Amino acid sequence: MKKTLCLILVGLLIAGSLFAGGASEATKAAPAKPAGPVEITFWHAMGGVNGEALASMVDEFNKQNEGKIKVKYEFQGNYDDEFAKIQASGGNYPCDIIQVYDIGTRYMIDSGWILPVQEYIEKDKYDISQIEPNIAAYYTVDNTLYSMPFNSSTPLLYYNKTAFEEAGITKVPTCFEDIYEIAEKLKIVNPDGTVKRYGYGMGNYGWFFEQWIGKMGLHYVNNNNGRGKDYATAVEFDTNGGGLQIIKVWDKILKEGISPYLNMGNDDAKAAFISGNVCMIPESTAALKSLLLNVGDKFEIGVAYFPSINRNDVGGVSVGGGSLWMMDTGKQEREDATWEFLKFMVSPEMQAFWNAKTGYFPVTVAAAQTATFKENIAKYPQFQVAIDQLHSSAPQYAGALLSVFSEARQIVQNYIARLANNELDPQATLNGMAKDINKAIETYNLVNY
Amino acid sequence: MRIATRQRRLLQNTGRFLLNIPLMLVILVPLLYTISISVMPPDEIYGNHLIPTSVKFTNYIQAFTNPYYNFPRMILNSFIVSTTVMLGQMVTCSLAAFAFSFLQFKGKKILFIAVLATMMVPGEVTIIANYLTMAQWGWLDSYRALIFPFLTSAMGIFLLRQYYLTFAKELYEAAKLDGCSNLRFLTSIVVPLSRPALGALGAYVFLNTWNQYMWPLLVTNSREFRTVQIGISMLYDIDAVSLGLMMAGVVIVIVPSLSIFVFMNKQLINGLMAGAVKG
Repeated sequence: MKKTLCLILVGLLIAGSLFAGGASEATKAAPAKPAGPVEITFWHAMGGVNGEALASMVDEFNKQNEGKIKVKYEFQGNYDDEFAKIQASGGNYPCDIIQVYDIGTRYMIDSGWILPVQEYIEKDKYDISQIEPNIAAYYTVDNTLYSMPFNSSTPLLYYNKTAFEEAGITKVPTCFEDIYEIAEKLKIVNPDGTVKRYGYGMGNYGWFFEQWIGKMGLHYVNNNNGRGKDYATAVEFDTNGGGLQIIKVWDKILKEGISPYLNMGNDDAKAAFISGNVCMIPESTAALKSLLLNVGDKFEIGVAYFPSINRNDVGGVSVGGGSLWMMDTGKQEREDATWEFLKFMVSPEMQAFWNAKTGYFPVTVAAAQTATFKENIAKYPQFQVAIDQLHSSAPQYAGALLSVFSEARQIVQNYIARLANNELDPQATLNGMAKDINKAIETYNLVNY
Repeated sequence: MRIATRQRRLLQNTGRFLLNIPLMLVILVPLLYTISISVMPPDEIYGNHLIPTSVKFTNYIQAFTNPYYNFPRMILNSFIVSTTVMLGQMVTCSLAAFAFSFLQFKGKKILFIAVLATMMVPGEVTIIANYLTMAQWGWLDSYRALIFPFLTSAMGIFLLRQYYLTFAKELYEAAKLDGCSNLRFLTSIVVPLSRPALGALGAYVFLNTWNQYMWPLLVTNSREFRTVQIGISMLYDIDAVSLGLMMAGVVIVIVPSLSIFVFMNKQLINGLMAGAVKG
């Protein structure tokens, strides 16, 4: 019996060393031999069809650069997971390129781990005007483009065109006054008083809050929206009046039954829209394809500009999504290879392909001239509205940069939930949001600067 | 007399079934609906359908055969990792539990309390520190990193110790008198007698390891070492939701963990109860 136990232990040890062998084989691939191709690692956060499209772009790059550069793509969970992982690994540089979401931008700039792509743009004399200016503006601070825009989207208003026609509505809403009016006409109430169909619906999603501030032409945080030489030290939406206007609209929508409360995030709103229970929702441009696919021929989908809070608001939408960051690995040949890869990823052909497969904007202006793009826009004419909306915005509405943005977004959603729950009135909601976000900013700044 | 008993039993059983079948259906609805979505045509998913009008297995085929997702490899990885962790914990926990229940040594109580105290530390607190250790050792992206940190657990030690305490002290003394060594006593007497507790521990550990997400995501990078839960998140994208494909992935992944439950169900319930009574 003693023998059996010994055997088990020995077996475990052998198993352990076997795995050890397998591991060293995998890890030793990282440093490139001068003779073979330069190997670089690319961390991304794209799942589903988007991940598949990304993989085929990387494969195409590897095919074109065979023997010279080899890019290894590694999925690292959703944006939040991936971001947590890069934060955890600190300065260990486990990758050469990382895709980070919009709201991680300030953190990455401050981290000291990255190389602004501007350096290579100047070294290589890359013509930056090829990149869509309203998209590049988001990732530009102090005239330095920090990361390469890659997957960009803006919010849009999706509406049920069939229901609009049935109700005899020809006007497309541009602001919330329009939405109140149209939603009333589209609402169907059962004889027992329950609502069968709502005219408008939206999830409790902090992204919209940020977008509406920009739509009013206002700043979310101080110090030039966090884009100045100095980082942001406090929110500004509480003192410039923008926050209160948004919360009042949100309050009205929920209290007067214009929209049901559709939980945090926007997934429930999307589901309600697809099933026809809600006729208008704000949602990302990138959702167009999956909405069309899921709706099928149940009804026709129309799209309009993201609605503004007041009729005469002068601002514009800013981009969400992600961009590609170059890590400062200190290895010249790997950084050169990374730059080649970035140029490839934003080339017109690749961006047209990316746009057709995913619904993100082509970040390169010239992508509009490619056959792939023309074919796609003929198939999905709704996408033209998204592009027009992007062009009608301006670089000064690029949106805020804030190191604790994901936390701030969560705080906004928590307070909107309490507003919906009748716990707080609009003013108290605003005060609570501002206080909590300021505290998060203060703590972060204290520790990191 | 006998017939009366039989009839009563039959009545009892029918009653139980009548009560349990609706209950079972209620509990199983989410699972059944998951399966239903996974075979539904995409435009029916949001169309208030509970049961698909036509059954399609394209989602399963895609999840399984698409080399980008590489599900077979991930299932194999999860299986290797979960099984090794399970066996490892059974060995280490029974050894430790044996010491804590049968042996007398100085500082036993303090040591045991120290072991229990580790149960109070949430995994989130140690995960970064553990990750940095793994990175320093160069163990990232390997089976070792997935397995080694979980080879023992306070919960397992506690569970088995409580079970061992139910053994009569005389058993140990008698064996000792006959010249039986500690190790022999453990392997030939204690382990066979504590099969329910060991089985419960095994099933519990297997499932826990199978369901891990954050740790495997942190310590692995390449697809050769990824586990199934990461596979499911690969199927999801916030801007491109394909519910059917995701649900197919979920079903593929829960089949092995569910079968563990079916096979070890008896041991699981017996074992957990046994610990609870004494504890």
